[in-house]
Amino acid sequence: MELIQAARAWWWLVHKDLLREMRAPRTWAAMLLVALALAMVIQLPLELPAAEKPAFLGAMFWLSAFFAGTLSLDRSFAGEQEDGCWQGLLLYPVSPATVYLSKVAGNFVALCALNGVLLLAFALLSGISLLAQPGLFLATAVMANLGFAAVGTLASALTAGLAQRSGVLVLILLPLVLPVILAAVGATQSILEHEIGAWWRWLQLLACFAAVFLTLGTLLFEFIMED
Amino acid sequence: MNRCAPATFGWNSAASAGVALLLAACGWLIFVFAPREITMGDVQRIVYLHVAVAWCALAGCVAMGLAGAAYLVRRTPGWDQWSQSAGELGWLCSTLTLATGSLWAHDAWSTWWTWEPRLTATLVLWIVFAGYFLVRGSIEEPRRRARTSAVLAILALADVPLVVMATRWFRGIHPITPDMDWRMRLVLLASVAGFSALFVLLAAMRKRQLDQAEQVAALERRAGIVT
Repeated sequence: MELIQAARAWWWLVHKDLLREMRAPRTWAAMLLVALALAMVIQLPLELPAAEKPAFLGAMFWLSAFFAGTLSLDRSFAGEQEDGCWQGLLLYPVSPATVYLSKVAGNFVALCALNGVLLLAFALLSGISLLAQPGLFLATAVMANLGFAAVGTLASALTAGLAQRSGVLVLILLPLVLPVILAAVGATQSILEHEIGAWWRWLQLLACFAAVFLTLGTLLFEFIMED
Repeated sequence: MNRCAPATFGWNSAASAGVALLLAACGWLIFVFAPREITMGDVQRIVYLHVAVAWCALAGCVAMGLAGAAYLVRRTPGWDQWSQSAGELGWLCSTLTLATGSLWAHDAWSTWWTWEPRLTATLVLWIVFAGYFLVRGSIEEPRRRARTSAVLAILALADVPLVVMATRWFRGIHPITPDMDWRMRLVLLASVAGFSALFVLLAAMRKRQLDQAEQVAALERRAGIVT
């Protein structure tokens, strides 16, 4: 019964964040525009041999996703504090873990949308589709975004309210999320080179990372929410 | 505080003398007892220092995380001081790891730096430490600083397996467990033990210093002195 109530509260929190973004698009619009700009900038000097291009594009795809996605993560708690909603969030009759998981879900949806826009932009601008094997790429994207959202949400909550929030967020997020970027790049390259065994190992690493940080976040979030 | 001073001074002196003797013995073992390596010559002796400080850097990160977890459970400032002192020494040791590794690589690989997985993971560890202290420095309120730092210290623990397993997971060229003469292995173990003892001694001294600084600050607050 408690689990159903928690799931319902989780859904309403996710719904609240998505609805707010739909009514007044601030974070997503900026994030998607940055992603498009990055995709264009990356293509400009790209004069690589055709054989090397897919591997390079895989790496650039995930780097663009990371830098543009940081914008969404940065705003996920900063917005709450600026609008004075943080106190309201603390007063919700839900566990801190539910609040954390709802923020992860919101960021996960944002990162998936970002991946969609980047895929389209990379395919149009470079002429190479990263969706050679859509199922495998989808599994990679789901695991990578889940891990990124799990760490990023925690880092965003940790740095919310700090004087130099954005700078500190990038500084603590980049080293923590580096395994996700490396594994996502490795998995994407394995897909493009049709090495399914290697892809599976990278996917396991991504899944392991997501599971570890989701667990840590669920356990530690109550300490971040104390203020 | 004065009544305790002679006793702690005696304990500190004895421990310092013991560690100094241990390090002197390590110096003799490294420069006299250990045989000269055939391929690299005397440059190989850097390894005895490099492995020891690398071990201390990882131990510093683990101790920082465990002390952070203990703070979240117990909420006593002492655990936060342990976390900070272990982190400071861990950061110093990771700096020394990168420096000594670079010296060794210049002779072994003919380059000061290469983006080898373990080197990259160690650099990531260094940035994680830097982020930890940047966050500490950004928060004025002591309890919030301690709590946020503790959460970050626990997250930093996730980088330890990455450093340890980097060469295996990402197929790097960093030596893992090279075949060694028994005398070399003995010197390596002695060096790790000597530097671990130095690490513990310095961590304890720094923790005591932080504790005393806190006591002085409390006295100043009580006396109405604003610094």
